[in-house]
Amino acid sequence: MIPNRSEYLKQQALQGQKIMGVLPALYPKELLWAFDILPAEIWDPPGDIVKANRHLQTTICPIVKQSLEFILTEPGIVNAGYLFPHTCDSLQNLGSQVKDMIGVPVPVYTFYNPKGNFNKATRAYYGDILNEFLQVLADVHGPPDIEKLRAACELGLKIDGRRIELQQARMTDRLSLNSQQYFQLIRAAEFMQPVDYLYLLNQVEIQDEPLKSHAIRFLISGILPPNDMTLSFLDDLGIGIVAEDLLAGSRRIPIATLDPPADPIEYLTDRFFLLPPCSTKAGSLDHRQQYLKKLASDSKAQAVLFNIVKFCEPELFDHRSLVKSLKNEGLPVLSLETELLPGLSGQTQTRIEAIVEMMGDEVLA
Amino acid sequence: MRDVGAPALMSFRDLTRRKSRPVPEAFGPPLRSNKRLKEILGRHYFLSRYVPGAKKVAWVTSGAPVELLRAFDFYTIYPENHSALVGAKKNGAEYCSIAESDGFSQDLCSYARIDLGHMLSGKSPAGKLPRPDLLFCSNNICQTVIYWYKTIAHELNIPLIHFDAPFVSTKQSEADVRYMAQQLLDMIPILEQVSGNVFYLNDFETILSRSQETSQTWGTILQTMRAKPAPMTIFDAFGHLAPIVSLRGLPVAHDYYNILLEELEERVALGIGAITEERYRLIWDNIAVWYKVRFLATFFAERKMNFVTATYTNAWAETTCHLDVKDPWSSMAKTYGQIILNNNLKHRMGLMRDMIKNFEVDGMVMHSTRSCKPYSVGQFDLRRALGAELNLPAVIIDADIADERVWSEQQIQTRLEAFCETLEDAAHV
Repeated sequence: MIPNRSEYLKQQALQGQKIMGVLPALYPKELLWAFDILPAEIWDPPGDIVKANRHLQTTICPIVKQSLEFILTEPGIVNAGYLFPHTCDSLQNLGSQVKDMIGVPVPVYTFYNPKGNFNKATRAYYGDILNEFLQVLADVHGPPDIEKLRAACELGLKIDGRRIELQQARMTDRLSLNSQQYFQLIRAAEFMQPVDYLYLLNQVEIQDEPLKSHAIRFLISGILPPNDMTLSFLDDLGIGIVAEDLLAGSRRIPIATLDPPADPIEYLTDRFFLLPPCSTKAGSLDHRQQYLKKLASDSKAQAVLFNIVKFCEPELFDHRSLVKSLKNEGLPVLSLETELLPGLSGQTQTRIEAIVEMMGDEVLA
Repeated sequence: MRDVGAPALMSFRDLTRRKSRPVPEAFGPPLRSNKRLKEILGRHYFLSRYVPGAKKVAWVTSGAPVELLRAFDFYTIYPENHSALVGAKKNGAEYCSIAESDGFSQDLCSYARIDLGHMLSGKSPAGKLPRPDLLFCSNNICQTVIYWYKTIAHELNIPLIHFDAPFVSTKQSEADVRYMAQQLLDMIPILEQVSGNVFYLNDFETILSRSQETSQTWGTILQTMRAKPAPMTIFDAFGHLAPIVSLRGLPVAHDYYNILLEELEERVALGIGAITEERYRLIWDNIAVWYKVRFLATFFAERKMNFVTATYTNAWAETTCHLDVKDPWSSMAKTYGQIILNNNLKHRMGLMRDMIKNFEVDGMVMHSTRSCKPYSVGQFDLRRALGAELNLPAVIIDADIADERVWSEQQIQTRLEAFCETLEDAAHV
């Protein structure tokens, strides 16, 4: 049973838990766990955007706007500060805006993620960033307990390992969850205590043999999964999302299982450099194309769904080349643009039905 | 490269061009240096057509440490500068449409879309741009350039060197500087391989020294606008910015700015202003609206308002003080890593506060451009904070740097007229 995010966090706060609001996307959550801080990620909090409009233009991505709205109206659950990992230009500036211009009653932290094609210098630098962040946290929360940090990394390793198993099971039809349930499970990582979350992951049964295959198999790529109503619509049409390349999902899980952490900083560095290709890290397009093709092939996906957040530059730049390359492989592509609103528009519904109709003949054949 | 015949050919080509439009009465005499500027830029683009085979070509972002490339004798082309040129000629929408029809989103930066439109069609107001042998970008101006350049690298199958400049959230750390310096050192063997030339530290130091002097001269040029009346408008400076952006480190840029400075100092001494009557002094924030420079310049000049400073033009002078020829790698990291767009909003606010005070500014116009997130996100709060602290009338206009489809003339004119009224009212209180 996946808890309600808001209720869960309220309960945690009532129990005196330190909670840090974390903006998308890549950050060493194990460091926070080691200081007994629960990261509560802020991606698409529900509600109308009202106050944030005073601070942001209309052409800014809805993740940024909704995050700011949340920060401006947050009822006091976030008590240990906000963390702004360096993800894109808009989130970069939003971090400074909240810290330097707007002001909030809790500390604001930043965490730089290196960009581009990585080499030895990048690796050394990432280690420096981790150590600096560790020191920043230590200044507020006391000296770090290395054993606790190691234990946090071990817990993270177990979660990563189980996530990889579930991904594999999803690709081979050995999970009985529909898409809506699957993504609720994946996204519970954004707010649950790691021990609770690992327990939840372990509750999910992986079948020994494949269950009945979906009528149509989709690979999804983008920042976030579609909203519940869209996922439910896909489920009803017999579309199974069998693999995902989402920033809120598998792009934050290493592509291989790591060794148990001897040195936590080394482990977290290795982990970062083993994450899948991602637009926000600005690696090579070739690499990302190859990765997506392999994911499609491994999962036997018959089509690719891009769920693009409006005004998201990193994704929009990659999108055109990825679409061309996947189409060259004979994979139909459906690109949906989302402003993170609830519900399912008639237009989106029609576009999904159209691709299903188009593919239907081929699948039946 | 020798330019035998290029000036002659270019002046022949000039004969076929239409005469420039008359200068409105609100403006003072035009700068003599404009002619030299056109020659330099025309020559640069003209020669670029004949470069392939003679020199290796690099496409470079405006904030990248180009001095390193100069040491390998690359011929450098600045796509941002080219996109601004396309925008200024009001062809931005056409080039953007080419990119959009090939699958690029209309929500992407228009500089990038124009450049991708150029890449896909070969179109250019400069005739033709040489195909790059190398791409060189730095995210010290935005993350967009990395996505943009890696797309070109992928399409053209050419190497891309990316100089990762960590954003300065509070202050630049030793680790940041070490990382950036190491990246520069790591580039040397790659640049040697692509260019076929060997790196000589002495040559590099000479280039660096020249670049520093040029940036300092550019800074002095901007400082002449503290004079009342200011000897040029910021719209002039937007044009004269081109050499410091795209020819930085070369003797031609160095020499040109000495000529321009001399002329501006002469105008200051003689009391010659850029506009005939300067009653109000303004600051501009963000990149120019390239397709409306003339409109905006005339609009404000006719109301006796002159833009005397801008965060945009200042960017190529702001951090030069960190450059140290004797410590090139770390000092380049400090110089290129701390520029306005790679720095936090507190830093930007301090910078703008100083500019407003030093240039005796009466009002502020902020261009909120949909193309540039690092420049635009935060402007609403900056406006409020600076307005409240300095009692400064300010206006924000929504537009774009190079895609003229975004411009809404009636709406913007109404906003600007209201701003001008506020400014005049404030002056009479």
